[in-house]
Amino acid sequence: MRIGIDIGGTFTDFVIFHPSSGEIETFKLLSTPQDPSLVVLSGLERIFEKYGRQAVVVHGSTVSTNALLERKGACCALVSTRGFGDVLQIGRQNRPALYDLFADPAPALVPSEWRLEVDERVDHLGHILKELDPNQVENLITVLKSAGIASVAVCFLFSFLHPDHERLVTDKLREAGFLVSASHEILPEYREYERMSTTVVNAYVSPVMESYLAHLEDQLTRSAPEVSLQVMQSNGGIIQPAEARRFAVRCILSGPAGGLVASQAIASLALPGEKLQVITFDMGGTSTDVSLIDGVPQITTEAVISGNPIRIPTLDIHTIGAGGGSVARLDAGGALCVGPESAGADPGPACYGKGDLPTVTDANLVLGRLLADHFLGGQMLLDEVRAKRVMECLGAEMGVSSTRAALGVVQVANAHMERALRLITVERGHDPRGFTLLSFGGAGGLHAADLARGMGIPHLLIPPLASTFSAFGMLAADVVKDYTQTIMLPGDTPLTELERLMQPLAERGRSEVHAEGVPATDIRLEPFVDMRYAGQSYELITPFHPGFMLEFHNLHQQVYGYSHPEAAVEIVNLRLRAVGKITPPPLAARPMHAQQPNQAWMETRPVVFVEGIRQVSLYRAEALLPGNRLAGPALVVRADTTLLLGLNDTASVDAFDNILVQVGK
Amino acid sequence: MTLSDYDPIQLEIFKHLFAAIAEEMGTVLRKTSFSPNIKERRDYSCALFDAGGLMIAQAAHIPVHLGSMPLSVLAALERFSEAEALQPGDMVILNDPFRGGTHLPDITLVSPVFDESQALLGFVASRAHHADVGGMTPGSMPVSREIFQEGLIIPPVRLVRAGKVNQETLDLLLANVRTPLERSGDLWAQIAANQRGTNRLVEMTGRYGQEHIAEAMRQLLTYTERMTRSLISSLPDGSYEFEDCLDDDGISDQPIPIRVAIRIQADSAVIDFTGSALQQAGSVNAVYAITLSAVYYVFRCLLGLDVPNNSGCLEPIQVIAPIGSVVNASRPAAVAGGNVETSQRIVDVLLGALAQACPDKIPAASQGSMNNLTIGGWDPKRRKAFTYYETIGGGMGARPGSDGPSAIHSHMTNTLNTPVEALEYAYPLQVSEYSIRSESGGAGKYRGGNGIRRSLQVLENCQVTLLSDRRRFAPYGLAGGKPGQVGRNFILRDGKELPLPGKGSLELKAGDLLVIDTPGGGGWGKG
Repeated sequence: MRIGIDIGGTFTDFVIFHPSSGEIETFKLLSTPQDPSLVVLSGLERIFEKYGRQAVVVHGSTVSTNALLERKGACCALVSTRGFGDVLQIGRQNRPALYDLFADPAPALVPSEWRLEVDERVDHLGHILKELDPNQVENLITVLKSAGIASVAVCFLFSFLHPDHERLVTDKLREAGFLVSASHEILPEYREYERMSTTVVNAYVSPVMESYLAHLEDQLTRSAPEVSLQVMQSNGGIIQPAEARRFAVRCILSGPAGGLVASQAIASLALPGEKLQVITFDMGGTSTDVSLIDGVPQITTEAVISGNPIRIPTLDIHTIGAGGGSVARLDAGGALCVGPESAGADPGPACYGKGDLPTVTDANLVLGRLLADHFLGGQMLLDEVRAKRVMECLGAEMGVSSTRAALGVVQVANAHMERALRLITVERGHDPRGFTLLSFGGAGGLHAADLARGMGIPHLLIPPLASTFSAFGMLAADVVKDYTQTIMLPGDTPLTELERLMQPLAERGRSEVHAEGVPATDIRLEPFVDMRYAGQSYELITPFHPGFMLEFHNLHQQVYGYSHPEAAVEIVNLRLRAVGKITPPPLAARPMHAQQPNQAWMETRPVVFVEGIRQVSLYRAEALLPGNRLAGPALVVRADTTLLLGLNDTASVDAFDNILVQVGK
Repeated sequence: MTLSDYDPIQLEIFKHLFAAIAEEMGTVLRKTSFSPNIKERRDYSCALFDAGGLMIAQAAHIPVHLGSMPLSVLAALERFSEAEALQPGDMVILNDPFRGGTHLPDITLVSPVFDESQALLGFVASRAHHADVGGMTPGSMPVSREIFQEGLIIPPVRLVRAGKVNQETLDLLLANVRTPLERSGDLWAQIAANQRGTNRLVEMTGRYGQEHIAEAMRQLLTYTERMTRSLISSLPDGSYEFEDCLDDDGISDQPIPIRVAIRIQADSAVIDFTGSALQQAGSVNAVYAITLSAVYYVFRCLLGLDVPNNSGCLEPIQVIAPIGSVVNASRPAAVAGGNVETSQRIVDVLLGALAQACPDKIPAASQGSMNNLTIGGWDPKRRKAFTYYETIGGGMGARPGSDGPSAIHSHMTNTLNTPVEALEYAYPLQVSEYSIRSESGGAGKYRGGNGIRRSLQVLENCQVTLLSDRRRFAPYGLAGGKPGQVGRNFILRDGKELPLPGKGSLELKAGDLLVIDTPGGGGWGKG
């Protein structure tokens, strides 16, 4: 039995997969934010009582994310090369907001008094300029012990070329019982601030992750000793808890990773054949996540969380502050703004009955797109009168009707989301016309078809598992480990030399993934090189194979619109991704039925479109059968989301209960 | 489809669409350029203009480029009109400070954008600070006496004609700079950025129609103007005056006063710099574009975050800057430092004056310098000439209600530092300290931010040029707060400390240690 668990702000989702029967089961429990392990343990207990105590549990945790966002990580210290401890605070010396005289940069995670410096120096060729005096390390230990600091980050200049000094300090501190994050272990790449920041974030969040996982494992060992626990990472792969405890920075952006992994699994079933080209769209209450799958999910090394650069490979998920709960208002110049303020869950949109601020959800209700009596499967009746009233107020300010105001709110919200979608597609050299939009967030179904239309995206996919999508993704995730090493070599370095340098990374990858319990035959190694034209500062991650040079020029052409095949090239980093293949839960295809969706039809309702009011058929999604076809305009209502089909859209239900929309004009 | 006079929905949608074009251009430029100034330090700006040359959107890059980019487009339009009018696929290059530029290293590339029927839709422009454009010192940021010493002057000329790079122009240009390969790479990056912006505007027009786009542009200009007028209305009517000084021009040691009177009446403002010093022999002269940018910046800060950066902001504001003064220099004045140092002092006097009108919105003086450091020479190990340019952050002024941030760039610049490891990979230099100067911020109820110490050892003989200020006159405090500490520059040679002037150029010997201490910000309120 495999169990996926996704801890959200409100609910914790559980997905159980029984390999023997191929069955999948899901349930939700209320989250326990003060101690997230409580809900995990009680949910697991419920499963164990029913099915026995043997399972692989894959766990997506926001423990490290929240520690960083809420700045509730460990009190930690930084040990740096003398003269460079303040680099952590100086950062890149730019200010966060150009035209805000009152903005403050995020305070450094380690205050100046705990930024300790030692005499040592290595140059850019990896030569030692100044030896490290071991006595200084003894002094460090005394100082840190007396201060009661347990977690220490170590980051020296050029340690990725010559790690001996860092290693010496790290070893001694570990012998003395400290939890040490060493930059040459966490990110052996050049650019001291980003490496230091990543290392310090690890030192900051690891103790929190450590105590959380220790507690969880401890409890599980008692109640179910045969359960093995695995943890989701930001790169979309899973690792053992022991790894997650040491390298908690790798889990910081794991929250939305499950959804992306699930998207890949579902889309490869629903869209078989050609190369997978999918844009994922997860619109929730306060924010919207978008990302791109071009064959595989895209990876970035430029993540920044609340002012802290984290340069480890992370699924490239772009988040914007616009969602169903985003508040609409007119600003001083008379433009209709939507978000980033959100009505949240409390008071929530006006139609929840408490708040008085007009939101995107209220606009959808006023337009008849959201149905007051079908929200959350009818469990919560929305207040239409209240929604209309706030939209009328907004309209009065603009000198238009409540309907026109509501249409405007939706259009502006769509403009925000379109900008996010453009950022991850056209701006990075991808033509959206070849992609399918996959929408799985609660609020997304009402906006997805219009967005696809605006972007020229021909197809829209709505999977059935939406509400437990992320937890399902945990079960589909492979074991993934990423390795890098800065080498800074010219492009004409012989292939054999590069292969030789890649070898240690490959060996580490193979053995460490094997140690996670993956048989050697299921391990795949994906080597890359980070390349640029000599003199540039940004590298393109290029697959490493005998034709990698040509591929680099082609990539540069695709992303930036030009290439210089005759120009000198630099190979900055070697990069290796080791993947241990996990067989995802096979979803069973259901038999096809008639095209007529009569059994799912409920009634007709008036809905406002830009083109005017239309009587629209209402269908219950749960009653749709594979093979059914729908023609827009239509509303498809499901317990957790509503899908709006525009006037010329058509849709069909596939054998896996996905709704596939052909987006019309 | 056309728009009504005022449509809040379209306004918001197009605000984002236009801004996205400028930002996407910036991404292309940053990621493909070769100068550390552009790629690591992000000293560049990209903007979108209407067919008349009014700026519609500028990506939030560098404030000093704000007010000055439209003047580049106007200069290109002025040069190429009538029979010589710009054609599809043309791109105009320029850096002449007296014809649409700011200082010579800032090279601007302007592209007219046409639709399929050859109708002019507008312009896109990119400006980037190139690491070297020739002249008397490497890095082209000299302490000079006339513009001809500062590098190659490029009047508006077509670098690209009908989609084809004019190789002869490019050859001429590259023959006049110290690092031609790097220059060529940067220019290609600018061409790519402009091309991207052009494509996007054309695509947008295909989707919405030319009239719709033009109307949206008009509305956005009016929108920003309306916001600015509402801001000015909120200030009490009256005349607010302030004066502060630049230390010197690097040639003589005479202080250089800059004076402003801000006259607020109802919803418009007159900014009058009459009484400021005459243009100087040294390179601290600001051309009008710089002064305009500083005014623009200050009002933009008071406006709030959502307001788009466009020419509408300057509509209710009249700027009086006497011709031939240090804030509106004439040819052939030396101007390398006007962009980077004088612009900061202009902001200081503007804020000092506005503090009388709205004391709760104005911070004390920030470091007031960009601490420009240029090192160049021959690198025998890498067998090539090198030019390293850096600006160094300092203390920001304390705000009413909070301390000023430390070790940060303020006001007219927001460039990033060059990472120590990137710098040492590229140049014969070694950084020995990069730290925060404790206690350098001014005392007060709220403390000014602290400055920075950056120390570099040069590994080869080379030439260093400093353009820094606030070495004599400290950043002022407000409401009883104390001034921040002044900065200082010195070298350590054979164990001896040799003080350096704020502005100057000298030869360093291999092994010399150059130390720059940057100023702290002023304090706010009685401590």
